[in-house]
Amino acid sequence: MGGKVTCTLGEVKQRADFIVYWGGNPAECHPRHFTKYTLMQKSKFLPRGRKDRTVVLVDIRETKSAKAADHFLQVRPGKDFELLTIMRAMIKGQDVPEAQVAETGISIEVLRDLIEKMKKAKYGVMFFGMGLSMTRGKHMNAAALLTFAAEMNAFTKFVAMPMRGHGNVTGADVIMRWQTGYPFGISLNRGYPRYNPGEFSTVDVLVRGDTDCAFIIGADPGATMPKPAIDHLAKVPTIVLDPHVTHTSRLSRVHITTAPAGIAAPGTGYRMDEVPMPLKPALNSPYPSDEEVVRRIKEVIATKPDWMTNQPQMIESQV
Amino acid sequence: MPAVRLMLNPMRTAQQGVNVNIGKDGDEYKEITTTLSVHEEDMAALGVEDGAEVVVRTEHGEADFVCKTAKVPQGLVFVPYGPPTCQLMGGDTDGTGMPTSKGWDVEIIPRSELDS
Repeated sequence: MGGKVTCTLGEVKQRADFIVYWGGNPAECHPRHFTKYTLMQKSKFLPRGRKDRTVVLVDIRETKSAKAADHFLQVRPGKDFELLTIMRAMIKGQDVPEAQVAETGISIEVLRDLIEKMKKAKYGVMFFGMGLSMTRGKHMNAAALLTFAAEMNAFTKFVAMPMRGHGNVTGADVIMRWQTGYPFGISLNRGYPRYNPGEFSTVDVLVRGDTDCAFIIGADPGATMPKPAIDHLAKVPTIVLDPHVTHTSRLSRVHITTAPAGIAAPGTGYRMDEVPMPLKPALNSPYPSDEEVVRRIKEVIATKPDWMTNQPQMIESQV
Repeated sequence: MPAVRLMLNPMRTAQQGVNVNIGKDGDEYKEITTTLSVHEEDMAALGVEDGAEVVVRTEHGEADFVCKTAKVPQGLVFVPYGPPTCQLMGGDTDGTGMPTSKGWDVEIIPRSELDS
């Protein structure tokens, strides 16, 4: 398992005639997705718009997105990996016991019909959300879907794309990737990047109490992370940069109000398909941007002595 | 009435997203993030009606919610992510960096039971 067969949202808009949403509820969470890219747009290759597209929703409950879909598959909670694995077997014509299929909450007839439609599509896309990536199985569920999409290319064109969260989370991943080679869970404490989710990832570092200071930019872990992580943020000196006073601000030692990015501060936001979009501020703000605050803090830190010089863990000392 | 065990799935809604930007101190945000969507059969098993206060417990913590009958699968309850769900979430990420954010086995107890 590995890799992602993907495309831009522009390609989805122009070409995708078979769209699967798995463990996501775009009608509530990405309300412009249907109208801008997937359902309603007419294009050179899909001139009748919605009538030329088939939409499938896979979820554990009938959300508002189900009304917009042609087919709704109600999978049992925690059975996404099993369902994806069964579908991977079925597209290759392998036998799958009906009893195992029934455990997923979907009948084999429904799956046979769905797979036939998928193979007949000209350009399929699978979008997956937190319902897939944050339940039991986590990244293995996402990997199963990405592999499924890759394997569908033996029959027709298929791609996959995660339904990313609000703000610029895609940008954070992309920048970390081209700067360090890794998307998240990175430690720079030896002077070079090391990657190990579960060890260097934010929640783990906080829950173990490994950090004695926290610098939070444009996020509110005090209202989103598990309680043990929040408790640690309250214990150590936490500095927050945010346009709003948040739950994290209240447990921090320092809150610096900054201009909201994209509204009163310029910059670059990354769309969920990893396309960078320049942001032109529509309003003026009396507050500095996050970038300016970070730059000024960096300038002050640069005047301090380099604490890492001649440390035994540095690369220079090891070669 | 005994405590009822159900599966809690925190999720997102459009109104929750709107209120994140309006302000998390607002009454509407607090109401959204403490309203538990429950199947009518599960409401009956709990012995509560719409608007009843309940305590939800996991192995990691507990928080107060208000029940509302909704069209959700029986055995599953849903609530938008927010500070109350943080109290219920465990810190273990199973080596992935991501805490398990959905599919929690929870115990739900009507507040009236605890007070009596």
